[in-house]
Amino acid sequence: MARVVNTSLLNTIKKHGAKRNLDVSACFNCGNCTAVCPLAKDSGGFPRRVLRMAQVGMEQELLASEEIWRCYACGECTQTCPRQADPAAFMAAARSYAISRYDFTGLAALANRSVLGNLFVFALFSAVFSGLLFARMNPGQPDLPLFHFIPGEWIHAIGVALFAVVGISAFFGIASMVWRNWRQQTQQGHTLPLSTLPRAVYSAISDALLHQRFQQCDAESAASDRAELPWYQRPWLVHASVMGGFLAMLLATTLDFLFKPIGSPVPPWYPMRLLGAIGGLVCLYGLSIVLLRRAQGKDHPYTKSSFSDWFFPVLLTVTVLTGLACEVIVYLPSPATTGHVLFFAHVVFAMDLVAMLPLTKFAHVLYRTVALALFAWRHAPEKAEVSVGVEA
Amino acid sequence: MNTHVTSDFRPDAVVIGGGIAGLQSALDLADQDLQVLLVERQSSIGGHMISLSKVYPTLDCASCITTPKMSAAAHHPNITILTNTEVEGVDTCDEKHSVRLLQKPTYVNFDKCIGCRLCEYACDTEVPDPFEEGLGAVRAIAVPFTNAIPQKAVLNAEACGTCGTCARVCPTGAIEYDQQPRRLTIRTDAIIVASGFNLNSLNIKPQYNAQHSSNIISPLTLERLLAPHGPYGRVLRPSDGKIPGSIAFVQCAGSRDESIGVSYCSRVCCMYAIKQSMLLSGALPLADITIYYMDIRAFGKGYEQFFQNAKAMGINFVRGKVARIDPITDGDLSLHVETTEDADNPLQERRHDLVVLAQGMIPGWQPSTITQVASASDGFVATPMLTAPTATTVPGIFVAGTAAGPKDIVDTIAEAGAAAMQASQYLHQKRAEVLVA
Repeated sequence: MARVVNTSLLNTIKKHGAKRNLDVSACFNCGNCTAVCPLAKDSGGFPRRVLRMAQVGMEQELLASEEIWRCYACGECTQTCPRQADPAAFMAAARSYAISRYDFTGLAALANRSVLGNLFVFALFSAVFSGLLFARMNPGQPDLPLFHFIPGEWIHAIGVALFAVVGISAFFGIASMVWRNWRQQTQQGHTLPLSTLPRAVYSAISDALLHQRFQQCDAESAASDRAELPWYQRPWLVHASVMGGFLAMLLATTLDFLFKPIGSPVPPWYPMRLLGAIGGLVCLYGLSIVLLRRAQGKDHPYTKSSFSDWFFPVLLTVTVLTGLACEVIVYLPSPATTGHVLFFAHVVFAMDLVAMLPLTKFAHVLYRTVALALFAWRHAPEKAEVSVGVEA
Repeated sequence: MNTHVTSDFRPDAVVIGGGIAGLQSALDLADQDLQVLLVERQSSIGGHMISLSKVYPTLDCASCITTPKMSAAAHHPNITILTNTEVEGVDTCDEKHSVRLLQKPTYVNFDKCIGCRLCEYACDTEVPDPFEEGLGAVRAIAVPFTNAIPQKAVLNAEACGTCGTCARVCPTGAIEYDQQPRRLTIRTDAIIVASGFNLNSLNIKPQYNAQHSSNIISPLTLERLLAPHGPYGRVLRPSDGKIPGSIAFVQCAGSRDESIGVSYCSRVCCMYAIKQSMLLSGALPLADITIYYMDIRAFGKGYEQFFQNAKAMGINFVRGKVARIDPITDGDLSLHVETTEDADNPLQERRHDLVVLAQGMIPGWQPSTITQVASASDGFVATPMLTAPTATTVPGIFVAGTAAGPKDIVDTIAEAGAAAMQASQYLHQKRAEVLVA
């Protein structure tokens, strides 16, 4: 079988790295990273094999591998790497590279490779959404309720269109990943029976929601100090609170959209409003720890941050903060101009967040879950066969 | 304590360190009729080499090579040896060096002691024997080891309870409990730094858990286990005295690893691991022996053949850096490694009885803080001139052996000869200048 080698692959991935001098070429494939990794036990594939793929330019194999998404960046490999090749930072860069390649619009590549590109994409989307909102805005009347200042129907219309576009974009991204993976699996002679797919998908979703492997990563990385952190600061719990809070807000917004008349006044203990507010606070808690530890930059996975590492949590934080502010504003007798501005900002930021989902770090919600499912799918039947073989 | 040397002594050269490098340098200078003062920190000359079992690639007995050198130096009319003596500093002014020495008390008068060992036999206080890497015991007053030079008893003041037994049994009345440290300043024209190496800690990589298992040992400990006159007289593992059936060598466990700050190669570990594995397969014919390596550096004369011989003898060579060692049941150890040889099952956990960590070589002494001699970025003595590899940054001070960087015995002896030649040439040039002036 012919292989296509991309000789500039390593340099391209470096551009996605948090550390500009990310020197994966220092790696001499001793295998320390794989052997020390708390999560590589069941596959033996990463980080060394992925690094090797990048070194020799195996672009398609790298993009087809689900291994880069199985890493939770505990940093054990980086701390013990004899060559200081920084495998953890490389894995993060490879994920960013993969997001860029799965996206067919080219915007992800622009956003992930440079600060200016990231800001440009952000400005572009912000301008589009601001323009759309301006078209139907009623300015100059400080006492108008929020959903009359910008008509609620109009926001919903833009939102539905946005979700449709992002859905299509995400579909193509996932399809790109799955297609490469499937082609590689079949070329290597693996059979992927449909009967085991539901179980694989179930295990991936439950792992994503319950953070089982993330917890294992926290508990078993010996050299990093994760296990010594108080429970409320463990990376898995911090991530779970950001994710859980976000999902609660998403659910509240969706239920409101489906069942609640636009702009109808409700008390603060109205279930959806309460769910959104609690979700926002939980999410904010997680985000504050993420941003604090990233600013300190002392421990993994926060030691090295690229602009895109900052961009996504900051955008999410700003969206949540403006959203919580709006929750308060609706109970004031008159929203006033500040209220209108905050509401406008919240809607634009929320739309930016959704629009940039397939382009930024946010895309990991798609690709990591799919990768975990693909991995489970590939390994579930094989393991059964192996164990039968041993017993026989 | 040797009290004959005073500050009036004006040797042509001072050699710092009585290991194989210092001995060779001292002998080569003394044979040219130059007066040499050899200074050794320990109680006996011989350095690390005298404690080794055998040397590669010839598998010669290390004692059989080192003892004659030690003896030759001790009996040479032009060589004066001070043991138990540390260099406190070297003051260099106008190309003249003043070596400040601290002679530590041995509590035994070397003029009277005849090495009969009656004191050692009578003493009832025992401490772990440093010569046997702590595996055996030694009395609080003892001749340091069988073939130590000088053959004089030395009293370990920290362990001694001053019961007076040794003084009572000594036939010559050599025991002097009231000995005090002596300070000397020796002026000389040339110095050879041959201060050797240390190994970095077994615990330097916490992932290897050496502090949690006595079956994770230093290669120098294995040398003693393999030596015919070693602590047990046979190879047993320290935790329970079991004859090990499966022994692992973990290479690059303290060097070539930037995460622990030793990025250089220690140069000897591949070869001594191969040598020790050969000796082990002789001592324990049924044992499985595995060497985990990143790459085998068999660069010297005859070394590649030595490596091939080991492979032919059935030593397992597994390519892969051991990432973690976990103590498991029965004192055994589990090694986590990704091998590149088994593509279907690269990630492996392998069980062994005994693990030898190839610790990194680090400088044994730091002259840069107390002399004008500069250190290189790796911590060893800097040798800035390519065409004079034994010259340091100070004229008249030369360096030989592992003080200048990791190297094996063959290279050390060659370099020690070179340093002696450079020093001799320097001295003769200096004398000629004095005559002309």
